[in-house]
Amino acid sequence: MNGRQTTRRLALTASQYICRPCRDTISRSTYSTAAAVQTDNQSLQHIHPVASATPQTSYAVNAGVVLSRPPMITRDLHPFESAYFLYQRRLNERLALPFTRYFYIKKNTPADLEWKRKLRQRLTPARDIGRYKGYGDEAWNDEALVGAPEREIQWQVERLLEDAEQTGKEGQAEAESEIEHKEGGEKAEKSVATTTVGGKVVQHESFERPMPRITEADLKGDVQSLNRQLQRTLYLVVKDKSGQWMFPQDRITQESLHTAAERIIVQSGGINMNTWVVGRVPIGHQQYDFPSKVLQASPNPNELGYKTFFMKARIMAGQANLKENKLGLSDFKWLTREEIEKEVRKDYWRSVKNMLADR
Amino acid sequence: MSSPIPSPGALRLLRRAIAPQISLPTHQVRHATLLRRPKRPYTFTQLVTLSDGSTFLHRTTSPAPVYKSTKDQRNTPLWNPSSQKLLNVEEDEAGKLAAFRAKFGRGWDAVSTDETSTEQPIDHLLDLISGQQSKAAGPKSTGKKAQAADAKSSEPALAKGVAGKK
Repeated sequence: MNGRQTTRRLALTASQYICRPCRDTISRSTYSTAAAVQTDNQSLQHIHPVASATPQTSYAVNAGVVLSRPPMITRDLHPFESAYFLYQRRLNERLALPFTRYFYIKKNTPADLEWKRKLRQRLTPARDIGRYKGYGDEAWNDEALVGAPEREIQWQVERLLEDAEQTGKEGQAEAESEIEHKEGGEKAEKSVATTTVGGKVVQHESFERPMPRITEADLKGDVQSLNRQLQRTLYLVVKDKSGQWMFPQDRITQESLHTAAERIIVQSGGINMNTWVVGRVPIGHQQYDFPSKVLQASPNPNELGYKTFFMKARIMAGQANLKENKLGLSDFKWLTREEIEKEVRKDYWRSVKNMLADR
Repeated sequence: MSSPIPSPGALRLLRRAIAPQISLPTHQVRHATLLRRPKRPYTFTQLVTLSDGSTFLHRTTSPAPVYKSTKDQRNTPLWNPSSQKLLNVEEDEAGKLAAFRAKFGRGWDAVSTDETSTEQPIDHLLDLISGQQSKAAGPKSTGKKAQAADAKSSEPALAKGVAGKK
C-alpha cells in the first residue's frame, strides 16, 4: 500500500538520522492511513540519545601515478594468424587485377629484363608468398604445408631485401658462388657485396637488415631501460623509504588529483621525462590501513591510513632519474604487468592489477 | 494539326516511360545473386624504413620491395618536441650559410635558446663596421647522419624491429 511504501522509503533514506528503535517501529507499522504517515514524520524529528562521543576518523588522500610506456612494436603473430594471412595473400593473387608491368617498367630496359628473370623464378610478382601462380593449372594448390617458412614475417622481410639486393642472375648461375653480405651500419652507409656470376665479379649494394625485435636490454635484463620488452607496456615502479615497491605516490596538499600527479612525476622521476597525465579522473584506488602499533605511536591517531587514487600518465621521451627525488625513493624499475606482480605486495597487487593493460 | 508541345498530362506520361524504373525491393531474395567482383589493383608487400631506423611492412601498389624515407615523422620537430637536435637543425646543404658567416660574421645569426649570449650588442656592430670575423661559436649545423644518430640516442625507444603488419 502507499503508506507502507512511503514509510519504508523514508526509513531507508533517513535511516542514518534516526536511532535503531525508532527505525524498527517505523518499518513494523502497517498502517496505511495518512495518520500513520504523520506519526512517521514526528518520529523522524525525534531526538535520539546522543551516543558517547566517537572521534572523527579519516583517511589521508594520496595521489598515485601509473606512468606507462606503451608498446613500441606490434605483437608477434599467432601461428594461425600468420597462416591465415599467407592464405589471404595467395588468394589475392587470383582475385586482384594483374600487375600492370609496363606502367612502372619500360620495355627492353635492364629493369625489364631483371623483372622477367625474377618472374620466371618465382612465378609471381609478389615476393612474400613463395613460388605460387594464381593462374593456370597449379592455381588450386594455394595452401602451404605445416611448418612452411612463407608464413614467418622474418622470411618475408628476408625475401624483400633479397629482391632489392640481387638481380636474379645469381639464381641462374650454375657455378657455385659465395655471396658475402656486409651488413650496413647504423649510419646507413651503403656497403658493397660482391658475387661471382659466370666468372664476372658483380658488385651490388646490400641493404641493412631491420633491427631485432629483442633488444640488447632484453638480453641483458636491464630493468631500468625503456628499450626493453618492446611489445609490452612498461610501468614505472619505485622503491620507497620502507623498501617496498609501488607506483610513485604522495599526499595531496590543496590541489587536484591531476596537478598532484604532475607534481609527483617531477618530484620522483625528475624533469627529464616528457610525460602526459591522461584526464582528470583516477583509474583506480587503493586503501591502506596503518597497523595498530603504528596508530598508537603516531601523532594523529584519528588518521587510520591513506587512500591512494591512481592517475594514468604516459611517457613519450626521456628517462627517470632519482638523484633529486623528494619522496625518499631509492630505486626505480620499468616493469611489465607480470613482473610487477612479483615485486609488489599481495594486497597492493589486488587493488592495482585491474588498472594495468593486458599487453 | 497537332501542336508540337504536347499537353502536360501527355508530357507526364512520356517522362514516366523514359525515366528508369527504380522499384523498391518488396521481397526478400534468398538465392545466390550475381555480385560484380570489385576491380582491385595488384598490391605488393613493401618494407618501409623510416629515418630513425624503424621498419614496418605494408601493402602498396608500388612494385619496389624496399622504401627508405628520408623525411618523415621521426625527424620532424613538430612530432618530436623533446628533441633539441631537431629544434636546432640548421640545414646548410649548399654551404651558403657558412659562406655568409665567413663574410659577415655571426652577428646576423638568429638568437639560440641554449647559448646565453653574454656579448654586448655593440660587439656585433663593431664586427659589421670593421668587417672582422667574430670568434666562431660551436658549430650548430650538424650533418643529417649525425642528427639521426643523436636523435636515436635521445629517444627512449631506439631499436624497433619489423612490425607484423597484415
